[in-house]
Amino acid sequence: MQRSLNNSETLSGIIQKPQFSPYTDNGGTVIAVGGKGFVIIGCDSRLSSGYTINTRFQPKLFKLTPQTVLGSAGCWCDVLTFVRLIEARLKMYSYEHNKTMSTPATAQLVSIMLYYKRFFPYYVSNLVAGLDEEGNGVVYSYDPVGHCEQSTYCATGSSSAFIQPLLDNYVGKKNIANAEKGKLLTQEEALRVVNDAFVSATERNMYCGDSIILNIITEKGIEERVIPLRKD
Amino acid sequence: MSSERYSFSLTTFSPSGKLVQIEYALSAVAAGAPSVGIKASNGVVLATEKKHKSILYDEHSIFKMEPITDHIGMIYSGMGPDYRILVKRARKLAQKYYLMYNEPISTSQLVQKVAYIMQEYTQSGGVRPFGVSLLVAGWDSDRPHLFQCDPSGAYFAWKATALGRNHTNGKSFLEKRYSEELELEDAIHTAILTLKEGFEGQMTADNIEIAICNAQGFKRLTPAEVKDYLANVN
Amino acid sequence: MSIMNYNGGVVIAMKGKDCVAIATDTRLGVRSLTLTTDFPKVFQMGPTLFLGLPGLATDTMTVYQRLRFRLNMYELRENKRVRPQVFTSMVSNLLYERRFGPYFVEPVVAGLDKDGTPYIASMDLIGSYQEPEDICVAGTCSEQAYGMAEALWEKDMDADKLFEAISQSLMNACDRDAISGQGAIVHIVEKNKITTKTLKMRMD
Repeated sequence: MQRSLNNSETLSGIIQKPQFSPYTDNGGTVIAVGGKGFVIIGCDSRLSSGYTINTRFQPKLFKLTPQTVLGSAGCWCDVLTFVRLIEARLKMYSYEHNKTMSTPATAQLVSIMLYYKRFFPYYVSNLVAGLDEEGNGVVYSYDPVGHCEQSTYCATGSSSAFIQPLLDNYVGKKNIANAEKGKLLTQEEALRVVNDAFVSATERNMYCGDSIILNIITEKGIEERVIPLRKD
Repeated sequence: MSSERYSFSLTTFSPSGKLVQIEYALSAVAAGAPSVGIKASNGVVLATEKKHKSILYDEHSIFKMEPITDHIGMIYSGMGPDYRILVKRARKLAQKYYLMYNEPISTSQLVQKVAYIMQEYTQSGGVRPFGVSLLVAGWDSDRPHLFQCDPSGAYFAWKATALGRNHTNGKSFLEKRYSEELELEDAIHTAILTLKEGFEGQMTADNIEIAICNAQGFKRLTPAEVKDYLANVN
Repeated sequence: MSIMNYNGGVVIAMKGKDCVAIATDTRLGVRSLTLTTDFPKVFQMGPTLFLGLPGLATDTMTVYQRLRFRLNMYELRENKRVRPQVFTSMVSNLLYERRFGPYFVEPVVAGLDKDGTPYIASMDLIGSYQEPEDICVAGTCSEQAYGMAEALWEKDMDADKLFEAISQSLMNACDRDAISGQGAIVHIVEKNKITTKTLKMRMD
């Protein structure tokens, strides 16, 4: 007598279920450090999937307004979609209100747009860097479903575990006796920390490397720099 | 003879407290071909007699001197087939040690382990002791080593010694000739001279074997090299 | 979740100029529940030899005891102290004996050779080892510790600088890991001198 087959079983006995896997992790790391009158946001330029490198130069920073930059890493197709939609929303805002959106407002918009997809989220790690009302650097970090936190420094993406403790120590002055807590870094100090962080992460994480792309945001505008990293 | 009553099992003591099978094994050694070992300041030399019954024998195909590791080698007096077993076991022990510690085995450790095996064969059922005594030469911890290993499992560290036929004569010869400052080249000469004591017939590169062990490791001398040394001795 | 992250903990080792350092946190927990803050994972195995065993705590203790036994037997048999390189090989072999039912530990060896040459090594749970020139890291916050150590380590640090580097690496790494920290112990090994320090750090 033939045994009736369960849905998940085939004749060969191997369980085969058709599966939809809409996400892939393309790596990428974003760091932002803010200070008095400036904020620096940087990303690595490697785009990879698994053990393959898709490209060695894919900037992951997006200029949303003249004083706000979004850094986005994770599932690259979600990044592209998310950025396309947010740019549209910013355009609509500027037409309706006849002004560009402020950094805190942009940060809030990012959060809302992420939460809108609460049950089929964008698989992205976002960082928004910009200037607040006083013209000082602010950083907003997110989880994939829109939880938002404001700070002065943050690392996100595939190398965040490597870099975040380093920023805590250097920028946040954590575990340093007699340190002036809350004292902000100068632009030169911040640049050096960001550079060191990427170099260290590149040394140990294969999803990070090729080059650093930096956006230095001040009242005067956004300066872009590219610094080479290890390519192996 | 009363001792024969106790020779059926080597694990049984005779009333006088002897294990007679071990004494027979030592007799087999004493009747075997002589071998000599001398420790010099910069190395060890081993020498042995290798006589053949027929002129048809191909002398340089099979050797009595055997390397165990790069820096340890052996020679024996007694029964050749028993010796082969011990060489095989010693090599396995050395490799096992190397795999465990990622460091070549020291000569004393190897000798201890081989002696342990030889002792097992004096206390196990269904076996007989090895009919050989070994001379083990090695170089480690930046100095030379020379050990003798007996069928009973007893082992000794020597400056110089002789085994096999005429070993008492060989030893007393070495006692007269040995000095602490001896260098390897002189030791090779002394070894040949010791072997020559009581050597029947002409000594040639075909009927003796010599090996040295120094900082470069264990090495059998080629017949040509042996010939040169013999020429200097004569 | 991996069995490696059941109890939590981290060990870092670093090479300096004529010195080595090895550091451990002191937390023992069951997943997110902290049981004790007095559980160092580094053990002294010789006058200038240390062993770190982060991973599953029960295996930390078993592997330590079995290695202590083998080491004692070795030292009695050979009548000499074990070299760090030889010890690494012993650890590696012990772990590989359980190739298909491993001890869940990632050992780190740190010590000075007889002539005072610094030596560090680390291996995975089945004994595949590496002997790096700079740093060894293992445990639940290894990524964080790698990021810190990679940035703070320099060639030829003296004992004081090495202590500073390894302490900062450990503390800041632990602060970004919920199941590591709650105290730390650092050993600095120099020729003829061992300094052991307890670090004061965040306990939350």
